[in-house]
Amino acid sequence: MDPAERTLLADALRKTLVSGAGLADLGWPDMLAEEPETVVPLLFRLLGETGRHTPALNDVLLHAAGLPLTGTPALPFGGARLVWLRDGSSYDSPLDPELPLRHARGDEPSVPLAAGRRALGWWLLGTGHAMLALARRHVLDREQFGRPLASFQALRHRLAETYVALEGAEAALTAATDDTGSLLAKAAAGRAALTAARHCQQALGGIGFTAEHELHRHVRRALVLDALLGSARELTREAGVLLVREGRTPRLVDL
Amino acid sequence: MRNSPFTGPAGLGAFRRELRDWLDEHDLSPAGDDGGLDGQVGQLARVRRALWAAGWMRYGWPAEVGGLGGPSALRAVLGEEVAARDLAEPGIWSMVEVLVPTLIDYAPPALAAELVPRLLGGEEQWCQGFSEPGSGSDLASLSTRAVPSADGEGWRVSGQKVWTSLAQYAARCVLLARTGSPGHAGISAFLVDMDSPGITVRPLRTMHGVDEFAEVFLDDVHVPAPRLLGAPGDGWRLAMDLLPHERSTCFWHRIAHLYSRLDRLLADGCEADPDALGAAWLDLHTIRCRSAATQARLAGGGRLGPETSVDKILLAGAEQRLFDTARDLLPGTVELSPHAGWRTGYLYSRAATIYGGTAEIQRNIVARRLLDLGKE
Repeated sequence: MDPAERTLLADALRKTLVSGAGLADLGWPDMLAEEPETVVPLLFRLLGETGRHTPALNDVLLHAAGLPLTGTPALPFGGARLVWLRDGSSYDSPLDPELPLRHARGDEPSVPLAAGRRALGWWLLGTGHAMLALARRHVLDREQFGRPLASFQALRHRLAETYVALEGAEAALTAATDDTGSLLAKAAAGRAALTAARHCQQALGGIGFTAEHELHRHVRRALVLDALLGSARELTREAGVLLVREGRTPRLVDL
Repeated sequence: MRNSPFTGPAGLGAFRRELRDWLDEHDLSPAGDDGGLDGQVGQLARVRRALWAAGWMRYGWPAEVGGLGGPSALRAVLGEEVAARDLAEPGIWSMVEVLVPTLIDYAPPALAAELVPRLLGGEEQWCQGFSEPGSGSDLASLSTRAVPSADGEGWRVSGQKVWTSLAQYAARCVLLARTGSPGHAGISAFLVDMDSPGITVRPLRTMHGVDEFAEVFLDDVHVPAPRLLGAPGDGWRLAMDLLPHERSTCFWHRIAHLYSRLDRLLADGCEADPDALGAAWLDLHTIRCRSAATQARLAGGGRLGPETSVDKILLAGAEQRLFDTARDLLPGTVELSPHAGWRTGYLYSRAATIYGGTAEIQRNIVARRLLDLGKE
């Protein structure tokens, strides 16, 4: 897919997500089958940026496992196992009640997680950028002490820190191919999204703590998506266990 | 030794394999105790001479300065292998990465052709005189002055430089001095012979115990006219043009060095704390991915700009976390060990957020140039 086609696809995906139409109209199963390494980052990052959601994580996991794109695989979440309902209204995540997550019954298939971790990493990256965009707009618009908040170095550095974390996560996601790379990439993305949540919440001050401002929706989503398929903390520990076992640091990317 | 550049998609891999084979056959490891900074500089020269003679040191540099051509990533790979085998101290190894491109871009071609091979071939060390006691983060305020000499044959330079790495060993110095008005536009650059009358070098004692940096005093030093780099007033642009070089191959060398330190930490029997070790690896992996992407962009003809401040911030953070982790997981080693390795590394890592543009300056650049937050 060349850059122009990619832009067209991104526009179509964005319109579809914002309108609330299903991905099926865009030919999602075919796109996933043909160019997963292009469409998964595009779609999931857009989910984060737009604050929308789809059950496409199921398809990504099933496709990577070589299974038909039906049903809902089990999704590790802390010590629990969840499923992402394709439709229905049973919601077991009160923190982010928009997401149709439900505790697994126990008969759902267990699948390899690497592709799902990459997809969720891109989603977290988009969520982080959504929060950064809100905070940036706010500090440029709001004045205190007779000057824009954006002119205060303490806030500029918080937003710079957020941007750096997101850029680092994007580099790790772009380079992720194997299991270990996917694990590290989701850890980086989870950590970056939590960094974004902390700094952007602070930059947005009181308004960001209200339910009428949309920041809280992204904060809730970041927390839930971070925990899904392994949180930044859990995955970082898993990477450390691997290091101790190997006794040498794998170099996962080369020039 | 083959004489064609390792170009094309398979070039880097082939270069790496052949280089590793060669290094396996030719042991350039330092002999025992490194003998302090004198030993390190001696070892650096020895490794460079051997790699220059065998050709490895010439790849990635153009023929005009004695090189064998090919992409600059070949130099990144060479530096990575040197760091992975601890053949030379990584900081001083990487200095040519900023000095040589400067000479190629700004020196009269005959001068570059004459002198650069001496640096790359390990015959000489050079240094870079930028910072001054009154001009650290605010480099453009520098006050070392260069005025045309009375006979019209060159320049007379007076002032003081600081944090000049390896000045006490250096044969030449790329020096910034003011030739015109205050601000960026009044700065020019020179290649100064360090044995010129009027130059005094005083090594600085630093907290990590390696006198790698020096103060350089210039008292009415004569610099011949052909040693002006570029045109009068080009000094600031020259300094800014260094950044893409510093933040591509140099960073890759540093990252390789930090990976080798994490390996050493595991080999030294550190406490097996998976949270701390995983976090140290995650930081290293993140900057390695970022740096690989930056170099791919450079190799594709892209220009590097303010976005490399992201690389700088990630690298400094990764370095400090790694040595903090080492201190935590090898309790007492930094404080008590008779071997200086971890102590020196730990203490030097404290400077990672200061040299090459402080952490605060980098965040200012990100806020202003990348987030477009306007002026402070």
